[in-house]
Amino acid sequence: MSGPRVGVAMKWVPLRVEVDPLTGAVAADPRSSGASGADLAALEWGLRLAEAWGGEVLVASAGPTEADGLLREALAAGAARAVRCELPAGAPGVLPAGAPSELVAAALAAAFAGVAVVVCGDWSLDRGSGSVPAFLAARLGAAQALGLVALWPEAPGVVRAERRLDLGRREVLRVRAPAVLSVEGATAHLRRASLPAMLRARDAAVEHLPAPVPDPVAAGIPEPPGPIRRGPYRPRPRVLPGPDPGASARERILALTGAETGRTPPQTVRLDPGPAADRVLAQLRTWGYLE
Amino acid sequence: MAETVPSLLAQGAAATRAAAHLPPAAHLPPAAHLPSVAHLPPAAHLPLAAHLPLAAHLPPAAQSADATQSATRPAAEGFDVVVVGAGPAGSAAALTLARAGVRVCLVERGPFPGAKNMYGGVLYGRVLDGLLPGWWQEAPVQRWVTRRATMVVTPTQSLTVDFRTTAWGEPPYNGATVYRSDLDAWLAAKAEAAGAVLLCSTTVTGLTRGPTGQVTGVRTDRPDGDLPARVVVACDGVNSLLAKEAGLYRHPEPEHFTLGVKEVLALPRQDIEARFGLAGREGTDIEILGCTGDVPGGGFLYTNLDTIAVGVVLQLPGLASSGRRPEELIAGLKAHPAVAPLVVGGQLKEYSAHLIPEGGWDMLPDLAADGLLVAGDAAALCLATGIWLEGVNYAIASGAAAGEAAAAALASGDTSAAGLAGYRHRLESSFVLADFKRLRRAPGLVLSERVQRRYPQIACNLVERLFTVDNPNPKPRLLAAGRAELRRSAVRARDLARDAWTALRAFG
Repeated sequence: MSGPRVGVAMKWVPLRVEVDPLTGAVAADPRSSGASGADLAALEWGLRLAEAWGGEVLVASAGPTEADGLLREALAAGAARAVRCELPAGAPGVLPAGAPSELVAAALAAAFAGVAVVVCGDWSLDRGSGSVPAFLAARLGAAQALGLVALWPEAPGVVRAERRLDLGRREVLRVRAPAVLSVEGATAHLRRASLPAMLRARDAAVEHLPAPVPDPVAAGIPEPPGPIRRGPYRPRPRVLPGPDPGASARERILALTGAETGRTPPQTVRLDPGPAADRVLAQLRTWGYLE
Repeated sequence: MAETVPSLLAQGAAATRAAAHLPPAAHLPPAAHLPSVAHLPPAAHLPLAAHLPLAAHLPPAAQSADATQSATRPAAEGFDVVVVGAGPAGSAAALTLARAGVRVCLVERGPFPGAKNMYGGVLYGRVLDGLLPGWWQEAPVQRWVTRRATMVVTPTQSLTVDFRTTAWGEPPYNGATVYRSDLDAWLAAKAEAAGAVLLCSTTVTGLTRGPTGQVTGVRTDRPDGDLPARVVVACDGVNSLLAKEAGLYRHPEPEHFTLGVKEVLALPRQDIEARFGLAGREGTDIEILGCTGDVPGGGFLYTNLDTIAVGVVLQLPGLASSGRRPEELIAGLKAHPAVAPLVVGGQLKEYSAHLIPEGGWDMLPDLAADGLLVAGDAAALCLATGIWLEGVNYAIASGAAAGEAAAAALASGDTSAAGLAGYRHRLESSFVLADFKRLRRAPGLVLSERVQRRYPQIACNLVERLFTVDNPNPKPRLLAAGRAELRRSAVRARDLARDAWTALRAFG
């Protein structure tokens, strides 16, 4: 392999959680944990880029020892090397599902040193914000392209990428190494590993990278400004069409509430079954359903 | 809202039209002259094939997962035995083989053993004593069954034989409620620790055969997915594709199958213990007859630590002809006055269904062919006799016996059906086929209309009559009351005698 190396970042996350219907406690089973669809797509794109460029894929994950299984699956699919990065012990929130993005990126950046292009899933399943690729790009001094739905390899180290925009629009970018690309989950299906590769990967070595010293200031990443509000996760509200903004306030309120809209007032009738059926039929005729 | 959709569509169409006037990708400047991130025109002009941009760069093996193309390629690693299915039977077989020093691969279609299982039932652990001594110290047990009840019900009545003993709550224990997903994973881990190679997320799609028709391995759904082996142990469940492909089933009639349907209801642990009179890890197992209306079958209720499992088993032809839905029947069971107080307030946690082979001896397939053994549910080794409703213990025992027989056949160099005949001999000399042979008439008796509906009615009416204090009338005589109930039920004496004789031969 003489082409540029391609890195793929994957996160070990619970794919299925159980919520206790009595207590509301959330439990994740390590047996049903693994890579999200977006990370699997990232691996597939990474493998395609490496094949087109004659390079090889290095896959890395910052997580617990259980992530080794995930990395071995990546090796079976075609990755050449797998590295599991340790997260700094004792740092706040250092859990597979809760480690701060900058710490995860710092750990991954050590593994991806010298890699031309890193492909990531756009965000992780466990309420990820999609910020790890940005932190990683900052650490690596690389360009970043996010929200990608298709990649085309050009000359080694150059990728043409299609990016999703709002309202169904697209833009096409040309990205040169070093770069961090984050792709959406439905853009590619990871190829099925062959049986011999699966058997070989069972005993394949997963490299281990010690935790970096967490020092975001030294890395050029500023501390977040001001007080940070902590609270329950609230998804952003959907933008719904409202009344005509050119209308007056009164007209907009009327449009929203439906007041003064012509309608049949509700009626309560108490009848025996036969007359009740006749009454229902008569009303349906009035509304035009039985004409 | 209705106006918004067309307007959005119009915007999307406008964007597409605008993109159509942009230069094609071939007109782009060379990559070397571009900045690190260059904004290029939209890709709307790209043909559909462009969305699969790298197919041409992929090697053939990566483009196709067609197992038939790979059939002629050699597998990277050979095994003496391939065990298909990491359920109790498969893991027991793999464990036995690995301990015998045989190279064994345990193939599981789920992402982990137990992934596709329903939440469990009762495990009778004596079968594990020889396989995993002291198993109770580490097995993933929910509760130890110390209370075993058989309940017959009519729509308004119930009569329960309720037995409990503290002896079953102490080592070596008798039965335990378990979640199958936990049990299967635990047993498979034991096999793996003994040296078996566990291969998950891999579906076996068929058998491979040699020139003489002898089974020479399995075909999987993975590229290059043929896995050669000298013996295949099929533990692929009730609908065993491998046993059917090998022609081992002669009579897979639908009346030999039931549909088990189960709800797992969450309840606080203290509520379960109060309702069922339990303490600590004590548990209850209730088997119910007469609760499925006009569909032949039965019901069950098991306690776990903080859930209860309640459900019905329904004979397939009866279910199909009744037009009833299984969830209706579970709802009816849960609403029965004898069951409702036990399940009230339970929050539905899981609803699941699974086929069960309940034909007993009459549906057993041939257990071996050249290079092939079948075990567990794949061999229809599930016993449903009303008094006993067991399957996992037969699966474990048959899996272990299959492992022993395969190891012996490998050692002797004869893996033909004759060389593997030791499997059947082992089952015949154990409780497995002894039980099935002795109780061969029980499934038909239990699923008969009289046992399902009339006898529960007679028993409940008789007990109601006996326990009704009807002063100033004198107390009823037992035999007279019984005869009166028989007359009311229109059960003929000769049918009663025939059923009694059948029961005596089966259970006596």
